[in-house]
Amino acid sequence: MINLKINGQSIQSEPGKTILQAAQAHGIEIPTLCYHKDLNPTGNCRMCIVEVKDWRIMQAACVTPVWEGMEIQTHSEKVEIDRKLTLELMLANHPQDCITCDVSGECELQDLAYEYKATAPEWGSKGTRYPVDSDPNPFIRVDMNRCILCRRCVSACAEIQVRDVWGVAKRGFDEVIVAGANTAMLEARCESCGQCVAYCPTGALSNKMNYGMARAHQVTKVTTTCSYCGVGCQFDLLVKKNKVIGVQSNPNAPVNGMALCVKGRYGYDYIHHPERLTKPKVRRYLLEGKKKEEIREQRVVNRKNSPTDPLVSSPWDWVNVEWDIALDIAAKKFMEIRDQFGADSMGFLTSAKCTNEENYLMNKLARQVIGTNNIDHCARL
Amino acid sequence: MDDVAKEAKAFFIIGSNTTEQHPVFGTMLRRAVKFRGAKLVVADPRKIDITEFATLHLRQRPGTDIPLINGLMYIILEKGWEDKSFIEERTENFDEFKATVMQYPPEKASEITGIPVEKLYEAAEILAKNSPMAVIWAMGITQHIVGVRNVMDLANLQMLLGNMGKAGGGVNPLRGQNNVQGACDMGGLPNVFTAYQPVTNPEVIEKFAKAWGLDHGPQTVDDKTLSIVNGLSSKIGLTVTEMMPGILEGKTHSLYILGEDPVMSDPDTNHIRHSLEAIDFLVLQEIFPSETSVYADVLLPGVTFAEKTGTFTNTERRVQMVRQAIPTQGDARDDWWITSEIAKRILNTRMKDEGGRMNEAAQYAGWDYKDSSDIMSEINALTPSYGGITHARLETGERLQWPCPTLDHPGTPILHTKQFTRGKGKFMPIDHVPPAELPDDDYPMLLSTGRVLYHWHGGQMTRRAKGLMQVYGEALIEVNPNDAERLGLNPSTCLASGQAPRNVVRVTSRRGFIEAQAWITDRVPPGMVYANFHFPNASANELTHASLDPVAKIPEYKITAVKVELV
Amino acid sequence: MTNKKILYPPIDPEIDKLAQHHGGTREATLEVLKDLSADHKLNQTTITEAARALHLPAHEAYGMGTFYSMLSLEERRKVLRVCDGPVCWLKRSTVDGGQQTMADEWSSMVNGQWSVERTSCLGLCDRAPAVLVEDEQAGPVEAGEIKKICKGWRGVQTDYSKTRKGEVRVMTALIGKIDPDSIDDALSQGVYEGLKKALLSEPTVVLAEVESSGLQGRGGAGFPVGRKWRFVASEKKTPRYIICNADESEPLIFKDRVLMDTNPHQLLEGITLAGYACGASEAWIYIRGEYEYQARRLERAIEQAEAKNLLGENILGSGFSFKIHVHRGAGAYICGEETALIESLEGKRGEPRLRPPYPPTYGFRGQPTAVNNVESFCAVPHILKNGAEWWRSLTDDSTPGTKVYMVLGHVKNPGLFEAPFGLTLRQIIKDFGGGMTKGSKFKFALCGGAAGTIVDKSLLDIPIGFASSQKGISLGAGSFLICDQTVSPVSFLRELLHFFTVESCGKCTPCRVGTWRSLEILNHMASGQGKQGDTEELKTLAALMQDSSFCGLGQSVSIPMKSMLTHFGAEFAKAER
Repeated sequence: MINLKINGQSIQSEPGKTILQAAQAHGIEIPTLCYHKDLNPTGNCRMCIVEVKDWRIMQAACVTPVWEGMEIQTHSEKVEIDRKLTLELMLANHPQDCITCDVSGECELQDLAYEYKATAPEWGSKGTRYPVDSDPNPFIRVDMNRCILCRRCVSACAEIQVRDVWGVAKRGFDEVIVAGANTAMLEARCESCGQCVAYCPTGALSNKMNYGMARAHQVTKVTTTCSYCGVGCQFDLLVKKNKVIGVQSNPNAPVNGMALCVKGRYGYDYIHHPERLTKPKVRRYLLEGKKKEEIREQRVVNRKNSPTDPLVSSPWDWVNVEWDIALDIAAKKFMEIRDQFGADSMGFLTSAKCTNEENYLMNKLARQVIGTNNIDHCARL
Repeated sequence: MDDVAKEAKAFFIIGSNTTEQHPVFGTMLRRAVKFRGAKLVVADPRKIDITEFATLHLRQRPGTDIPLINGLMYIILEKGWEDKSFIEERTENFDEFKATVMQYPPEKASEITGIPVEKLYEAAEILAKNSPMAVIWAMGITQHIVGVRNVMDLANLQMLLGNMGKAGGGVNPLRGQNNVQGACDMGGLPNVFTAYQPVTNPEVIEKFAKAWGLDHGPQTVDDKTLSIVNGLSSKIGLTVTEMMPGILEGKTHSLYILGEDPVMSDPDTNHIRHSLEAIDFLVLQEIFPSETSVYADVLLPGVTFAEKTGTFTNTERRVQMVRQAIPTQGDARDDWWITSEIAKRILNTRMKDEGGRMNEAAQYAGWDYKDSSDIMSEINALTPSYGGITHARLETGERLQWPCPTLDHPGTPILHTKQFTRGKGKFMPIDHVPPAELPDDDYPMLLSTGRVLYHWHGGQMTRRAKGLMQVYGEALIEVNPNDAERLGLNPSTCLASGQAPRNVVRVTSRRGFIEAQAWITDRVPPGMVYANFHFPNASANELTHASLDPVAKIPEYKITAVKVELV
Repeated sequence: MTNKKILYPPIDPEIDKLAQHHGGTREATLEVLKDLSADHKLNQTTITEAARALHLPAHEAYGMGTFYSMLSLEERRKVLRVCDGPVCWLKRSTVDGGQQTMADEWSSMVNGQWSVERTSCLGLCDRAPAVLVEDEQAGPVEAGEIKKICKGWRGVQTDYSKTRKGEVRVMTALIGKIDPDSIDDALSQGVYEGLKKALLSEPTVVLAEVESSGLQGRGGAGFPVGRKWRFVASEKKTPRYIICNADESEPLIFKDRVLMDTNPHQLLEGITLAGYACGASEAWIYIRGEYEYQARRLERAIEQAEAKNLLGENILGSGFSFKIHVHRGAGAYICGEETALIESLEGKRGEPRLRPPYPPTYGFRGQPTAVNNVESFCAVPHILKNGAEWWRSLTDDSTPGTKVYMVLGHVKNPGLFEAPFGLTLRQIIKDFGGGMTKGSKFKFALCGGAAGTIVDKSLLDIPIGFASSQKGISLGAGSFLICDQTVSPVSFLRELLHFFTVESCGKCTPCRVGTWRSLEILNHMASGQGKQGDTEELKTLAALMQDSSFCGLGQSVSIPMKSMLTHFGAEFAKAER
């Protein structure tokens, strides 16, 4: 173990840990911006600088390893002045429009500026250098004016998604983040996983689908499991006024951590799609007490007509009914068929998209109530 | 998955388009290859995305997985790379198995699969010399008439190399849908109750009969008189691929379908349509009107995952909470509630009709569930591997993978660490069987089917996601540039500059045809086309056939003979 | 967007061929991009194709294509790169006051076949004002001579064959005495004797000799060369590499160019000796792209040395094999920073790496690597030939050996000379520079390089060495720009900041924005639009950049800023209103 002092407090740390890790392990907070625990640290932003005794210059806590006898000041006056100044250099070229910015309230730059009482200086571009919403990607909104060049997006794409879409172009003050050879993201082989958005500390990369729909404090987050493939990713559904307005990575997700795919992160809008079935429906013939054999011909005819034309009335029309009616009809018809043809004339297709609990009940219905083992689902398909 | 991604020294991906079908797991594999230097062998006729990261890509002819695997095992045995002590201690039937493998020398394997001999040697060496090595497979292995044989042969390979029961090893099937694993675990199969308790086992029947209040015990069932209240059926039921044809044969008279769309997802769409036209009674419980709802008599609105609480079980047997985020939409109701209401109605009537022969006092006879956690308690009681997996534990943040038999059990991340379920692992001699429908003069090309990154299964959900449709808005048929030239397609679709000209092809099989835009790409080898089943106007299943694996009854989606014409 | 899938056709065969020609790996990226740029074919499409051919993400190739100043994605004609370095600026400081560069002035004077660009210091300070005509060095060139330049005239080479009074020539001894393109000439004058002698002893003996010579790195930091080599030699990992830093991009500095130009074999010998001592098998000379002339000379020299078995397999039957490659940069001051140089050599943007690990443990391709300056390598053959004792005996100063100096600006006899350590600025001006030019009075000097100290007359008598910067005067790479009363400190500092702003890599916030803002303030001040608080803000920014920049570039911007403000605070105060 390595012995060191942080702010006068003697602590021990494993060798090979950075100052930041050692400090965090002892509850000492050091502000960071470009650093994220999932990504290889780059030491770009210089927010986490600390003073190390006998060192001429400050050290970035996120990348400097601890050594024996090190004495560190994390919040000395000098450090705090430099941090505030560094923030002001960022703010000078950042739009001053938190009031309408989509990520206000969950913006790391905003939080630090608040903490350090850093304001935008009079000079600087104020975020007018790049076109707003500059990429046609349907999911990801790009506004490089808000970019502070922390490069988390570059790391996330390279290290988490391993797709290497984002990169750094030009140099010095003109440095800018680009997709591929400065093309549209999709042309740069983007898979629209949104990892870059999840890791962006500001509003430079945000989600298009819910842009302008809610501030962080206006949403409730509900942690749940993805409904697409079998990997079992977890994430938070963002809910505002009883509507799912987005999906957000949940760093504690056991399988996937912050990572999600395009369907998981952006394929949620079917939930509120206007075509959702919201009323039980039965065919008219069932309400009229007819038999299906009698109306088979009419059914075919009807299929050729507009199903929405109210003037065409057919026994095969859908009729919205109350739950009791639909359920009674279903139960009654099932019993009739069972009585007439036996339980093994009935089939049950349960669902690989439904929950365990629902599947269990289908199994119980088929076996206990009906008495058949004719139950299957689409595992084979 | 975590252990596989973090500890495997090599991966053998066969029949899995991992980066498109299980994207997040796919990125874990990419990371392992790129940052950990893990070796990756991909066996796939198509140049799928992950081949970009592969140490070696084997492009076997479709339907020749067994000669490929056997050929690799031949080389492993020839070179003495097998794990002799594992074979000795943990397995049986090695000699018989070996005799079969010896029928597949590399030259023969190469001839059948079309893979050069030296590539087979290279692959065998990578797979044998990097331990642990993980085999990863999905529908590309199972959706064949030899699906089960394919799976068993992969198990042979892993036993041969001693990669079973090891972190970073094993056979790792990737389940196609979010809760396929759970649906199987919960008895959504014709031969087993929950946790794979066979319906043919009298003790199991006894157990469930008692729990569910059917205290007359098991009884033999003949075809006409049917047990309803007084016992459970011990006759193995029909699979979905048998029920559908059963309709036209007069065997199946009603279907209760929960959240499935057979018209899109089952093979030979035309045949499915005919069957469903003829059914006496169809109840469909769905969130959207679907291709199947056209044939339904009753349509019951269920809810999406955002509106329900319960559990999903992922491909690595991890049981995780699904939590209700928003109220149910409109008059839609929880799917469990709908099912239980139907059950209650039938039971109530029947109770009256049949004199109340059911023992209502039995603990799990009834259907009055307060919520889904109430249902889970019943599952806990009747399902040994789920015995300790309660909502309460999951809500505290516990991470549980079954088997987890008791409340104090921590769950089981890796199976077969010390012993196989049946004791010793049995080597199965597996021989090659050619696919059911191969190209001929009339249908000279071969069609394989599957999904794409931006869509999912029948497309009910993803076709209603605006952004996904913007990126991938219509069915595309992958056509090799050579074939494209022969067919007279406009080759400029090859260019990365986008704005493809209309290049519509008609793909016809013995069962139907589809028309869709061609995507000219060397992802598919010459002579092969690839189509998906996400779009009703051009669903690949119009073309596929219902030849089934004799054991698993999985259709051979991956190989259909077709002809392709420019429209 | 619909169906706009990225369909990958085969890679453009021409670009693929080019990529394979340069080795087909990431390390070839810069060469490939340079060739494309030279053919005026560098654009998003060709960059994407090149990236595919080299198995890189497109953004990396694009990131490089837009990082190096000699590459251009714009439609260009033949390029005239007009030097914007401080010495060239000084030559025409009458046009001062504003931000108009010489390039701006010139671009109206050329015909349609030419494009004119500004460029940071070309390392031709002894030929100021200097121009790079495509890849040919030219100077001195006055604006009126531009037509001659376009027709092929290249100005006058500086002659260093005459020894100045007080010089002790070791590394520069053969200037004018040999034909640099003739290895036979070099051999006849004793070049490679150090190597021949060293190969008879064990590498450890060679290493010990260099260590005991006390040779300190000549790039500016003065790190003991022997100690660095010891680190590399004691690493277990192989292969180990030697890198010669010939990316001489520090304004005011051109000694390495002269050394390479006048005696390339001396450098090759020194690098080979380093390889022998460190147990390395290969070396790269990373030479700035603007030194194409010198790069070709080195390549010829390598060929000759290989033909004589002084390089290559089993050198002179010793069993030691060694290869030297020449790698051209493409215009980036930051690549003089050793880790940025390594990144660039690996085919990446020249951004400095995190340290630790340092190059001796984790250098080129992650292997142990010794990076030294041209001049450092040039000293080594003499040490091996004549012994460490001899090297130490060259001077009474605490720093052993000699140093190549440059004196520039308002002195009668500007140029390059070699002398022991411990000179004062007064000696340099008077004894070596021939005194101030007529009518000039010393006002201040920039010492060491652009990132050096500004001194006023109070520091004229301090002996200059690696440690003298603590007293306010730095040695740096050994160049001294002498400015007289006509030079405005504000405008001069503006020039320096312009350089740093253009050359900042952009990786860290303080340097990226700090240099830019400092320049903005100085622009205002220099053009009469200064306002109260400007000086204070400059001081604050200097302190921030010094304290918290990522690498030496950002940290050292503060050195000229702070020292200028210290000595000439009054003039800055005046410029505030």
